[in-house]
Amino acid sequence: MPKQQSQSNPGEISSSSQESPPIFTDLEDTLKQIHERLGNSPDLNVRKYETLNHENHVAVMYINGLVDKELVDEYVTHALSFEEIREEAPSAADLFIFAKEKALSIGKEKVVEDQNSVLEALLSGDTIILFDKLDKGISVTTSGGEGRSVTEATTQVNIRGPKDSFTESLGTNIALVRKRIKNPNLWIETLTMGSVTKTDVSIAHIHGLAKEETLQQIRKKLADIHVDSILESGYIEQLIEENNYSPFPTLYNTERPDSVAGNLLEGRIAIFVDGTPFVLILPATFFMFFHTVEDYYQRYDITSVIRVLRFICLLVSLFGPAIFVAALNFHQEMIPTPLLINFASQREGVPFPVVIEVLLLEVTFEIIREAGIRMPSQIGQTVSIIGGLVLGQAAVQAGIVSPAMVIVVSLTGISSFATPAFNMALSIRILRFVITFVAAYIGLYGIAIVGLILVAHLCSLRSMGVPYMSPVAPFAPGDQKDIFLRAPLHFMKTRRRLLKNDKAPGATVQNSQGSRHEK
Amino acid sequence: MKSRLALLLAVCISCSLVLSGCWNSRELNELAIVSGIGIDSLDGKPGYRVTFQIINPSSSSQTMGSTSNQPPIVIVSATDRTIFGALRKASRRATRQLFFAHTQLVIIGESLARTGVTSIFDIFERSHELRLNSAVLVSKDTDAASVLKLLTTLETLPSMGLLKKMQNTSQVWGENRRVTVFEVINGITGASDFTINGVQIVGDVVEGQKKSSLEQSDPMVGSLMSGLGVFKEGQLIGWLNGPESRGTQWMLNKLNETNVNVDSPDTEEDIAVNIFYSKTRVKVELQDGKPVFHVHIAEEGIINETGGFVDLSKEKELEALEQGIEQKTADEVRQAFEAAQKMKTDIFNLGNELKRIHPDQWEKVKQDWSSAFAEGELDLRVEAFIRSTGMRLKPYIPAKK
Repeated sequence: MPKQQSQSNPGEISSSSQESPPIFTDLEDTLKQIHERLGNSPDLNVRKYETLNHENHVAVMYINGLVDKELVDEYVTHALSFEEIREEAPSAADLFIFAKEKALSIGKEKVVEDQNSVLEALLSGDTIILFDKLDKGISVTTSGGEGRSVTEATTQVNIRGPKDSFTESLGTNIALVRKRIKNPNLWIETLTMGSVTKTDVSIAHIHGLAKEETLQQIRKKLADIHVDSILESGYIEQLIEENNYSPFPTLYNTERPDSVAGNLLEGRIAIFVDGTPFVLILPATFFMFFHTVEDYYQRYDITSVIRVLRFICLLVSLFGPAIFVAALNFHQEMIPTPLLINFASQREGVPFPVVIEVLLLEVTFEIIREAGIRMPSQIGQTVSIIGGLVLGQAAVQAGIVSPAMVIVVSLTGISSFATPAFNMALSIRILRFVITFVAAYIGLYGIAIVGLILVAHLCSLRSMGVPYMSPVAPFAPGDQKDIFLRAPLHFMKTRRRLLKNDKAPGATVQNSQGSRHEK
Repeated sequence: MKSRLALLLAVCISCSLVLSGCWNSRELNELAIVSGIGIDSLDGKPGYRVTFQIINPSSSSQTMGSTSNQPPIVIVSATDRTIFGALRKASRRATRQLFFAHTQLVIIGESLARTGVTSIFDIFERSHELRLNSAVLVSKDTDAASVLKLLTTLETLPSMGLLKKMQNTSQVWGENRRVTVFEVINGITGASDFTINGVQIVGDVVEGQKKSSLEQSDPMVGSLMSGLGVFKEGQLIGWLNGPESRGTQWMLNKLNETNVNVDSPDTEEDIAVNIFYSKTRVKVELQDGKPVFHVHIAEEGIINETGGFVDLSKEKELEALEQGIEQKTADEVRQAFEAAQKMKTDIFNLGNELKRIHPDQWEKVKQDWSSAFAEGELDLRVEAFIRSTGMRLKPYIPAKK
């Protein structure tokens, strides 16, 4: 990871802070300097022409792979070989005007007057036209080149609902959301971040729905970030979240355009970062991490049951091994006699205390999971076979762990994957270790204490000023329709209290989703 | 300064955790789970011989790979002046610490029961491990240790087996009922007296301790729930058997389900009626200084078997049968009542009932309630209903000419 906020970075490319060399009237000089400044990189493509009247020299340059070659060929190179040039552009200055006003029939063009802006334009995929005997040039937007096409979401899979997901291209991503919200009030503002990487970052919100204060806060926080590089939205997430030392994520990320659209309609704000398919959504609340977009596509009763199941899974993955350890070590009287005898007989040959058993298995499970992620998909299956079958079965037979423990740990492991948001599942997994330790120490009493601390901590968290546990704490009776259960869509007619834009009651947006005001 | 304070606090907290930690933590394989406790008297000497039935997990669980040839239980006993002393003394024989939270049964030897059980239950109330809902039994004609030593078929754990036996018979036959430590303590402290189930060994006691006795389809020895031990002022003074003990349960409104054989028009006791509902209401009052017990029993039954011909499609026949049931029930309840009166022991909770309803009247008789009870009068009313005749009406058996 590049160093952030470095004071004097040798890699710092000339930006506004330094004096920029001008474009020389001698074309060769300019070209030579630019070549030098790019370290003679071979991907800089320069073509020199003599115009048809043999009086002027023109250079067209772009960086391979960053531009759409067809565009350059058809609109830039071609435009400079028009017959009219003969009469209308005898001099370099005329040629400049001719090219700017008439010949270049391409989207966006602007005048560049120093080398820094030439470089900047080149690096963001523009094509530069420089003229001999003239101290300025034209930059033409031709960015394109290779990129991943829109594919199915891989980290947030669902059964029903749109299958597209974001790509690494900022423009595509914003377009994917625009396609879903055809409303002029979907406002997007773009800024460039990272002193080295110059990454485009866009803030999207629906004007009139999103709270103005929140928006201001985000703008300010983004403006306060001074780093070399923004390579992924995770950088921004870590730099703007309010509680760096909390295990819980306070920003939501998604790679699904429908999820972003839904959240924008709820009055939330999205941050797009160029180069990553993961879009940040804020403010985020705890319960968002347990909801999926599909919850709104399926019928309410099914969704409600599934949501309850998810919260059960949350409890299991948080407290499962801890309760098992506590019951076996401290509260044997709570276990029904026949079950206790079974547990006791399983533990007869096991040499370790229960908590060591749990940790052994949990750590093994984490190893298998981590290895499975990084492993090429062809070998993935081998890992699961070795991990699941060989380790589980063999460890029991070897008398290292008891069979009941394998059940507890695997149930917990699977439960943790039932949490839709992966970052939340990770936090819970870490907390599980803590709780298990405490349970091994002081039993259910410890579980209760840690539980209390957790609840207190969760209630103290805020995401962009919105209480993390809202609308449960602070309790908003009207907002309970979409938390643990989901009410039928025709009941959901009000907006979230804490997200509501008070200055624009009722919102100026014509809701395209019929009665579905609140997602 | 502030950070140093925080550091100090952190050190203190972690110290208190580390130094105190795990003091109560016990691994399962360091525990000897006690499933039954037997308490016997020492002949003539003060003190108890306490016997523990300890579960041997590796040979008593149902899981795979736990087949061992050891018996499912191990017996350990110790003698001491107090029960707790005996518990601790037993450590000299046991490899693991005794763990009492899963004690299913408390068996009191008959000889100890005769000398008095009043003092032995204190530890059950005082200890956090012993349970108040363990069932209590009195071993009849034998000592408690022998009962605990018996191995059983079907149920791998003898205590569990005995408990299930008790529950099963009280569920469908009704001579016994599960009496818990809590109820016994209530009986000791209450105005009335109480009964405790008896358990008897049939067969060879020594054989019953060997695992080989389980390798036959007809075990040479077994235990049997038998009768109710009657306790007066904490001392066993006699036994109620058969109809007497079922009558007691009827009187106490503890009868769940039972079978009554009634007479058919031509044979005696050849129609089996399954009583599946019974409700007893009791009122006690003093009339001219003598207690009168108004007992009303309502019961419902199904005809499950007929040994001869009865035309069950006729209402008159059914009414006659209902009368037969009422007669039988009243007989049993009277027998129980008379037996109790003979022993001058109020085992039907009637004293408590009088105290509850007429505290002023209770004040007059409480000094000598036993003899007042013995002179009391029973006003018994039984109502029986036959709700069904099973899956057919007339039996296939032809009527006798």
